[in-house]
Amino acid sequence: MDKQMMELLARRAGLDKALAEHPEDVAAAAKQAADVARKIKAPADPRAEPWPPMRPGSGL
Amino acid sequence: MTDLHWMTAAAAAKAIASRELSPVELTAALLARIERLDPRLNAFIRIDGEAAMAAARTAEAEIAAGRSRGPLHGVPVGVKDIIDVAGLPTTCHSRILADSLATSDAVCVSKLRGAGAIVLGKLSTHEFAIGGPSHDLPWPPARNPWNTDHHPGGSSSGSGSGVAAGLFPMALGSDTGGSVRNPASCCGIVGLKPTYGLVSRRGVFPLSFTLDHIGPMTRTVADNALMLEVLAGHDVHDPGSAAVVSGHYSAGVDRDVRGLRVGFVRHFHEIDMPADPEVTAALAHVARTLQLEGAEIRDVHLPTLEEFGAVNRVILQSEAWAIHAPWLRERPGDYGQLARRRLMAGAFFGAGDYVQAQRRRLEMIAIVEETLRDVDVLLCASSMDPACRIDSPADIERTYPRQARTPFNVTGHPAIAMLAGVSAGGLPLSVQFVGRYFDEATLFQVARGWERASGSDKKHPAIV
Repeated sequence: MDKQMMELLARRAGLDKALAEHPEDVAAAAKQAADVARKIKAPADPRAEPWPPMRPGSGL
Repeated sequence: MTDLHWMTAAAAAKAIASRELSPVELTAALLARIERLDPRLNAFIRIDGEAAMAAARTAEAEIAAGRSRGPLHGVPVGVKDIIDVAGLPTTCHSRILADSLATSDAVCVSKLRGAGAIVLGKLSTHEFAIGGPSHDLPWPPARNPWNTDHHPGGSSSGSGSGVAAGLFPMALGSDTGGSVRNPASCCGIVGLKPTYGLVSRRGVFPLSFTLDHIGPMTRTVADNALMLEVLAGHDVHDPGSAAVVSGHYSAGVDRDVRGLRVGFVRHFHEIDMPADPEVTAALAHVARTLQLEGAEIRDVHLPTLEEFGAVNRVILQSEAWAIHAPWLRERPGDYGQLARRRLMAGAFFGAGDYVQAQRRRLEMIAIVEETLRDVDVLLCASSMDPACRIDSPADIERTYPRQARTPFNVTGHPAIAMLAGVSAGGLPLSVQFVGRYFDEATLFQVARGWERASGSDKKHPAIV
């Protein structure tokens, strides 16, 4: 993720103050997220459901 | 009688019930030990000595009058400071919540008190159970009693340090990516992450709704089973609570392991994240010992640690961002640097990342379930290294992800970490056992089998 994109996403998330006061931490957070997200293998089956399933009538 | 500070919860409860031991004497002895050792260990954020002594006197009077509150009557406990104790702040080891006062007990605390336990105070954690051993917070990080220059693991750092050092026989921790089992591994005690939903999370500050678990931390397997017996149970006000009848875990703890099928997940520590040779040798020794005790050991394969770790991180940091976004926007400077970096990462995931992680999570659950149809429990690494030095951010950064605990936060299976041996450098090495959903009883049986054969419950740090 380049610096421009990182700053755009940070501002969209409302992190203007963090960008001004802790720019290295915002950049480190963005790098962590980008590194991790690319390691997720999307299920091959387009019908694969997420966890947890919706369970009407159970719980609260 | 054993030194009071090394007495197990079960032995203390028995001695108190039979009036051989006064809860006042036990509580006073532990508070004196805390006063002496805690300045070196930093296990506590707040010691609630007066309230603990008052509770001990009440317990003594109740027992003298023939009234028993339950199986932990008069036994002291420490509570991780993300868990509410009425009348005390729940700081989460953070400036953000430094003045936040709890008005009622978390369900887990209420259950322990209902069984007669005495709360000694609130224990150090990594900030909001995610940061790391930070030196830029209002309270110092906890230290490892086996060597105070070393990290005690986290995030339930004070819980692990205090149980191992004999400051209290049992503690409450929480586990979202391994935070009960990491300090258990680093400090050589027994830490259980129960099945997701078995123990209520109500009154515990959340880190990640679908990954958070509350778990018991003790010096013996039998104490862990005893504590879980008190903690487990359905809570209609916790949306993640499981509507199952909780088990009687203590009764079967001493069954032998003959005939049990143990799946050894070697690739975690041999291929995915090659472990320190002492850890590898310790795990092989655990497997051989269980085999000699009559268990059948067979190799099994699961998805890689890298993939489990990624799914855990995307879900954890996305859910944590939803909780922390308002404070991160308004008060970023009130977090320590480690927590600030980890919590802000959630701002950079898209909704699609989160949903893909949850879809892959369901597939991973299916794979582990399929594996546990052919074996009764899994045996695998917990930490790939002994605890590193606490003053080395580079070592902490390097070793922290080198673990095999997150897979079972992702899948929700119960998992227990405990001492597997002691390194040449005098630090604990660890092993992890994983069970079927809600089958903590078999998990305790195998863990106790290893404990009985190895004498792991008799090994304590030399701190005095």
